[in-house]
Amino acid sequence: MKIKTRLPRYLAGIFLLMLLSICVFSQQVIRGTLHSPSGDPLSGATITVKGTNKSVITDANGRFSIDASAGSILILSSVGFQEKEITAAGTDLNEVLQITDVALNEVVVIGYQSVKRKDLTGAAAVINQMNANRVSAASVGESIQGLAPGVTVRNGGAPGQNSVIEIRGVASFRNSDPLYVIDGMIADANSTINTNDVESVQILKDASAAAIYGSRAANGVVIITTKKGKEGPTKISFSAKYGMQQIPKQWDVMNNTEFAAMQKLQYQNSGLTPPVSVGGQFDASINTDWQDAVYRTGNTQDYNLGLSGGSKTSTYLISGSYYKNQGVLIGNSFERASLRINSESRKGHLTVGENLVISNNYGQNPGGGVNAFYEAPQMLPIIGIQGNQYKSIPSNPAGWGMGTNNATTYASNYVAVNALDKRRFNYAKLVGNVYADLKLTNWLSYRFNAGAEVSFDNNKELRDTGIWRFTNQPPATSTFEDRQRFLSILFEHTLNFNKVLGLHSINGVVGYSRQEVRRDIVSASRTGLQTYGGETFTTINASLGTPSAGGSTPDLYRIRGYLGRLNYTFNDKYLITLSGRIDQDSRFGHDYRTGYFPAGAIAWRISKEKFFNVSWISDLKLRASNGKLGINTLGSWEYLGLLNSAPRAIYGQAQTPVTGQYQAQITNPDLRWEKRSEKNLGFDASLLDNKISITAEVYNSLSEDVLLNLPLAFYLGNLGGNPSVNAGSIRNTGFEIAATYRHNNQPLKWEVSVNATTIKNKVESVGNQGAGINYIEPAADITFIRSQIGHPMDAWYVIQTNGIFQSQAEVNSYTNKAGKIIQPQAKAGDIRYIDENGDGQINNDDRAFVGSPWPTLQTGVQFNASYKQFSLNIQLVGVFGYKIFNDVRRVLDSYQLSNFRKDVNPWSATNTGGSDPRLAVDVPTDPSVSANNMRQTSRWLENGSYMRLRNIEIGYSFSPNFLNRVDIKSARFYVSGQNLVTLTNYTGLDPDVVGSGILQRGIDAGNWPSSRLLSVGIQCEF
Amino acid sequence: MKKLMIIVTITIGIIMAGCKKSLDINNPNTPTTAVYWKTSSDAQKGVNAIYSTFHRPGLCRWLFFITMIRSDEGFSTSPNPDLVNNFDAFLVTNYDYYETRSLWQDDYVGIFRANQILDNVPSIIMDATLQKQLIAEAKFLRAFFYYNLGSLWGNVPLVLKTSVPTDVPANATQADVYAQVEKDLTEALADLPLSYDNNNIGRATRGAAYALLGKTYLQEHKNQQAADAFKWLVEGDGKSLYDLMPNYRDNFVITSENNKESIFEFQFAVNPTDNHDDDTDPRTDNLNYGTSLPPFFAPKPLGFTDGEARRWVVQEYKERTTSGARDPRLAASFLYDSTDERGPDFTLLYGTTFTKRQAQDGTPNKVWFRKMLNDFTDNGESFHSGNNYRFLRFADVLMMYAEALNATGQTAVAYSQVDRVRQRAGLAKLSITMPGLSQAQFLVQLKHERITEFSGEGHRWDDLARWGDLGPQLSTRDAGFANFVKGKHELLPIPQQDIDINPNLKQNPGY
Repeated sequence: MKIKTRLPRYLAGIFLLMLLSICVFSQQVIRGTLHSPSGDPLSGATITVKGTNKSVITDANGRFSIDASAGSILILSSVGFQEKEITAAGTDLNEVLQITDVALNEVVVIGYQSVKRKDLTGAAAVINQMNANRVSAASVGESIQGLAPGVTVRNGGAPGQNSVIEIRGVASFRNSDPLYVIDGMIADANSTINTNDVESVQILKDASAAAIYGSRAANGVVIITTKKGKEGPTKISFSAKYGMQQIPKQWDVMNNTEFAAMQKLQYQNSGLTPPVSVGGQFDASINTDWQDAVYRTGNTQDYNLGLSGGSKTSTYLISGSYYKNQGVLIGNSFERASLRINSESRKGHLTVGENLVISNNYGQNPGGGVNAFYEAPQMLPIIGIQGNQYKSIPSNPAGWGMGTNNATTYASNYVAVNALDKRRFNYAKLVGNVYADLKLTNWLSYRFNAGAEVSFDNNKELRDTGIWRFTNQPPATSTFEDRQRFLSILFEHTLNFNKVLGLHSINGVVGYSRQEVRRDIVSASRTGLQTYGGETFTTINASLGTPSAGGSTPDLYRIRGYLGRLNYTFNDKYLITLSGRIDQDSRFGHDYRTGYFPAGAIAWRISKEKFFNVSWISDLKLRASNGKLGINTLGSWEYLGLLNSAPRAIYGQAQTPVTGQYQAQITNPDLRWEKRSEKNLGFDASLLDNKISITAEVYNSLSEDVLLNLPLAFYLGNLGGNPSVNAGSIRNTGFEIAATYRHNNQPLKWEVSVNATTIKNKVESVGNQGAGINYIEPAADITFIRSQIGHPMDAWYVIQTNGIFQSQAEVNSYTNKAGKIIQPQAKAGDIRYIDENGDGQINNDDRAFVGSPWPTLQTGVQFNASYKQFSLNIQLVGVFGYKIFNDVRRVLDSYQLSNFRKDVNPWSATNTGGSDPRLAVDVPTDPSVSANNMRQTSRWLENGSYMRLRNIEIGYSFSPNFLNRVDIKSARFYVSGQNLVTLTNYTGLDPDVVGSGILQRGIDAGNWPSSRLLSVGIQCEF
Repeated sequence: MKKLMIIVTITIGIIMAGCKKSLDINNPNTPTTAVYWKTSSDAQKGVNAIYSTFHRPGLCRWLFFITMIRSDEGFSTSPNPDLVNNFDAFLVTNYDYYETRSLWQDDYVGIFRANQILDNVPSIIMDATLQKQLIAEAKFLRAFFYYNLGSLWGNVPLVLKTSVPTDVPANATQADVYAQVEKDLTEALADLPLSYDNNNIGRATRGAAYALLGKTYLQEHKNQQAADAFKWLVEGDGKSLYDLMPNYRDNFVITSENNKESIFEFQFAVNPTDNHDDDTDPRTDNLNYGTSLPPFFAPKPLGFTDGEARRWVVQEYKERTTSGARDPRLAASFLYDSTDERGPDFTLLYGTTFTKRQAQDGTPNKVWFRKMLNDFTDNGESFHSGNNYRFLRFADVLMMYAEALNATGQTAVAYSQVDRVRQRAGLAKLSITMPGLSQAQFLVQLKHERITEFSGEGHRWDDLARWGDLGPQLSTRDAGFANFVKGKHELLPIPQQDIDINPNLKQNPGY
C-alpha cells in the first residue's frame, strides 16, 4: 500500500523539479514593506518563498527584497501576527499583517478532541513552549515550573529525578500525580521522555475539562503532544546544549581546628574531659571538608537531530536525542538516548499514523540509603576520608574514615558509600500509539487508537566489603539484580462529530477505552563476590556464596471506560459542554467496580452581546463548571483476603526453614475510587486589541472517599499494613490568574506573562482513627506533622520556642499560673518553650499548630523580548508564605555527634546575645541539653519563601541573508543561566523542597538542591 | 458509506463484546483464603507460621531489652536517648514506642496465627493424632505469647478467636490472662509428644508445656500447683528426658542446641542473604530467621552496646569451686576486662585481647552480656545469629521447683534441686555450705543462686516481679530504678493506639 501511495508522489516530485528548473530563468527581485495595522513598520519579519528554503528578514524599516519567480507564493510571517500568503508580483509591495489573536485561536487538545481556545468552557492551561523550551530539564514536569497557574512543580536536583507536580493542590493522602496523556497514550511523562520532542503541553484542571478521563483524572491531566512533520520540503534540525552544573550553596561548617576548639569548649562547659581526638591526640594533618569531598561540578549535555517534512497526504518526523547529566554529587549520573518516529498518511477518507518513542535510560547512584546532603555537613572534619588508622578486618579493610569511640559521630562517609555500594539502573522504554482515522461523513469520523507503554527495567547493585559508618555491621558482599517488565496497553474506539447548522454548532466525541497494566519482576542475588587483580566480578554466576531469587507480578489490572463529550455553541455566544465517563476497574470487588464521573460547563461570551459596548475589551467570556472525578491508588488485589506464605518456621536438627502460611493481613472488601467534585468559575478576556489576555478562575474542590489506612489495634495481630478504607475528605479552594501583555509591533518586541496561584487546603475528615483522634500523622515517631480536621494537610504541630533563658532568675520566674516552674531543669542559655496548656511542664501536650508547608502564594513571571537578531528570555518563580522543617540544621545545631555551623552563636555568660542555646554535652545529668534538641519544636521551622531567577537566556539568530549562502535555513546561538539567583531567608540549601512523600511535605532532610546551571547552545535548521 | 458504517459498528461491537470477562483477575502471586484450611498440609503450614513468630523483632530482639536492660542486671548508655529512657530509666516517652510495642504486637501476631489454627484445623479431615498434636502446639504457643503479655503488661485483652476489625475486647486482669495460659497448657499437655524425631526437634513438647505451666503458677505464687508441674519434669516422666549438661556453657553456644538440658528454645538459624526481618514480606529468600540481637549487645565497634550489664552482677560470683577455681559461669555469662581471670591482657574480645581493644576503642569498665553473643564462633557480629535462645532449660526448672518446694514448706527437698545446679558449676552443695536455712533464708540464698545461674538470660525481670523486689530501692545497683514508681512500672503501658481505637480498653495503673 505504501508503495502505491508513494509512487505518484515521486512522480509529482520529479515533475516539480523539472518545473523549477525552467522557472529559474524567470527570477526577479521582489521588494516591499511590511506594516502592522497601526502603520508601524514590522522589522525582523520573515519572507519565505513557498516550497523553497529561500527566505529573508525585513530591516528596521520593515523593508525587504527577495529573488522570486513571478507568480510564486510568498509567505509573510512575524511573531505575534497572522501569517499571510501573497503572490509575488510587482516590485514594491506594501502589506499589512494582522495581529494574531493568539490566545483565542490556539488549538487546545482536551482529550479525544481538540477545540479552539475561544470555545473552551472548562479550566485548561496551555503552556507556552517558548518558555518551557528555554529551560534545561530532565522531564516535562521540570520544564513547566512557574509557567501555569494552579500547577505546582517542585524540583529536585538529582540526575534524572522526576519533579513533583500537583495540579490545584493535593487532595489525596496517597497520590497527587496527574494523569499524563502523550499523543493519546496514557503513559507517565517522566524523565524517560525527551522534552525536546514536545510540541505542546496542555493541562486540564477542572472537572469539566478532565471528566473525559473519569476515574483517573482527579489529580488533573497533563496532555502532551509531540512534534509532527509538516507539509513542505525536508527539514533537518540540529541542536546542542552543554551546561556546567554547580551546587548553589553549601553548609558553612567548621574546619578541624575550629571544630576542636569548639568541642573542647563544649566539654569544658559540661565539666567533662574532651575527647582525646580534639585534645592530646588532635591530628592537625587531618582537615576534611566533607562537602568538598562529595560535591563536584556537574554537567549536562543535550543533543538533538531531527528530520521532518511531508507532502499533502503524508508527514513524518524522525528525531534522535542524547541527554546526559553528570550530577553535582559524586557517583550520580543519568543519561538518555531516544529515537522518535511520528508519521501520518492519508488515503481518501482514511488517515493512518503513529507516534513512537524508544528510549534507553541509564543511571548510577550509590546504594545503602545514604543521603549525602544530610550526612556530609555533619561529618567531623577531624576524620579523614581514608586512612590506616580506620582499618579493621573484616569490617573496614579499605580503612574508610568514620566515627570512632574518640571522635564519635554516626554520620556516613559518602565517599565510602560510593566505593562500596554501586547501583546502576537501565530502563529501556517504548511509548507509542498507532491510529486510524476514518472520515465517515463530513461531520462524523471514527478513530481507532492502540497505544502501548513498555518498559524493560534492570536494576543492579554491587555490595563490596566494608562499612561506612561507625558501628555499622558489615553485610556479606553481594551482587543483586532485578529485571522488570512494565506493560500498559490501551485500545480506544471513538466517534467524533462536528456539525454546524446555522448559528448552532455541535461537536463532541463518544468512545470506548480499555487498558491493561501489568508489571512483572524477577530478581536474583548472590553473596560472596570474587575479586582478583583488583577486578570485582559482577555477575551472579561469578559469585560464590548463597544465591537468592524472587519473582512476582505486583500489578495486573484492567480498566474499561465509556466516554463522551458534547459541546454545543449558539452563535459563538452561548456555550455548553456535557462530558463524562463510566469506568470499570478490576481493582475493586464486584459491588464497587463501576463508577460514574459526569461534568457540565456553561460559558457566555458576553462581549458578543449587543449591550456590551466596552471598546477596550475585545473579548470576554464567563465560564462555570461542575463535575465529579476519581482516582484509584490501590494495588491490584487489595480487596481480597490473601494467604501469606512468607513465614518460615525453624525446627529440626538441620534447622532448615519450613514454609508457614496463613492470612496475615486483614482486608477491606469495600474499597472504591477516591472521588472529587469540583466547581469552577472563570473568565477569559482579551483587552486592548488583544495586546493583553487574562484568564482567572476560582474553584472549590472536595475530595471524598479519600483512602486512608484504618488503624487497627495491635492486639488484632494484623501485619502487612493497616487495611485501606475510603474514609477521608479534603477540600481545596483556590484562585488563579494568568495575564499576558504583548508588545509586538515595534522593532523591540516583547511580551510578559505573569501568573499567580493561591490554594487553601483543608482536611475535612480522616475517618475513624480512634477516640478523640481527628488527625493522621505520617509515622508513629513523627509527632510534629499532622493532617487534622479543620487544618491543612501536613501542618506543623510543634512545641513553640520563646527565646533563650538569660539567667537562672529567668528560669525560676518562668512559672505557670499556679506558680509551678515550667522548666526546672533549665539553665541560663537554654531554650524557653511555651507551656501551651498551662500545666507547668513542657511535653507533647504543649504542641500547637504553627503554620504549614503550603505556600499562600505561588507566582511565575516570564519575559521574552527580541530586538533584531537578539532574543532574551527571563523566568522568575516566586513561592511565598510557607514553612520548612530544616532537619539538617537540627542535626548541626544539636551540637551532639556532629560538626558545628561556622556561624553558630551559642549563648554564654559572656555572650548573652547568643542566638543559639548554650554549648554543652548531652548527658543524663544535664537533661535540658536534650530538651533544647527536641525534634518536635518550632526551633527547626523556617520561612521557606523564595524568589528565584529560574532562567535567563540571551540568544542570537544569524541573519538568513548570511545563512542562505551556507545553505542553512536558520541558526541560533544562546547562553543561559538557570537558578542563578535565589532570594530567600531559608538557611538550608534550597527552599524548593520536595519533602518526603505527601504526608511529610515540608521536611528538608537533605533535599537535593536544584543546581545552578550555565549553558551554551546552538539550534539550526537546514 | 452506509456499508462502511455498518462494518465499523459491527467491528466495535465485536471488540467490546470480546472483553466482558476481563475484570476478574486472579492474583498469580498467592491463593486466596477461600481455598485454604482444607488439608493436613494447610494445617501444618498454619502451625509453622506460629513458630515463625519467634524470629520477629519483638521476640528475637526487643524482648531482651524489656527483660534484661530494664531489670537491675542491665542498663543502657546508647546514643539513642529513647533506648535509655524507656529501657533503663523508667522514663516512658511514648506509649506506642516501637521498641516496646513491637513485642506486644508480635505476641498478638503469634496469637492471631494460633487462633487461625484453633478456629480452622478442627474441621479439617486429616490424621487424628497429627491434628490433635497441631492443635496442642497452637495452644502451647498461644499460652507462651499470653504469658509474655500477662507478665509484662498484665491487664491485656484476651483475643481467642481469629481477629476481625470490629473486635473491641475489654481488658482482662493479669489473673485472667494467667488462667487462660494455664487452661491452654493443661489442654495441650496430653496431645503434645514427649519428644520429636530429628526432623522436628525443637517443636513444643509435653515437657515444655509442664515447664511453662509451672513457671506461670509460680509467677502467681500458686506454689503447690507449680511444684506439681515441675515434679513431672524432675521426678516423673520427664526424669528420663531431661538432665543438666556437664558443661554450663553448652547452654549458650550454637554447637550444642536442643541438648538434654533444653526444654524449649527459640529456634534460630542464619540466612546469609537476609536483609529484613518481617516474616510476611514476600522476599522470603532475604528473611532473617535468626536473631538480630547480638550487635545490640556486642562491644563497639563490633556492635553498638545499646544494652550492657551492670558491674555488680560480676561481684556475685565470689564463691569458688571445690577445686578452688573461679565459678565458670562468670566467664560464660559476661565479657569484661577479666573474663579470663588473668586479666585484660588475656581476656579475648572476639579474638583480640581486651587490652588491645581498649586502646583502640576506650571502653575500660564495660561489662557485656555474653550468652546471646557469638564470640564463641565468630570474630564479629551481624544482624543475624543462629544461636538459639534457651527460654526454658532444665536448670531453671530445678531452681523453680526448689522455689516452689521451699514456698510449700519442703525446704529440705528444695536443697537437693539447688545442689544439682551448683554441682554442675563445680560449687560445693548448698546442703554442705549453708545447711539448715529457714524458708525465708533459703529464698534469699535462692535469689543469689538464680543470679549466678541465669543472669543475662532474660529471667531477671520475672524473678524480681515474682519476689516483689521491683522498686526504687534497686537504684543502688541500677541508677535507672530511681525513677521506678511502685504500682506503675511493674507493668508496661498498653499501646496508646489500641486504647484510642477501643473504648473498652483501659490503660494500666499509673500511666
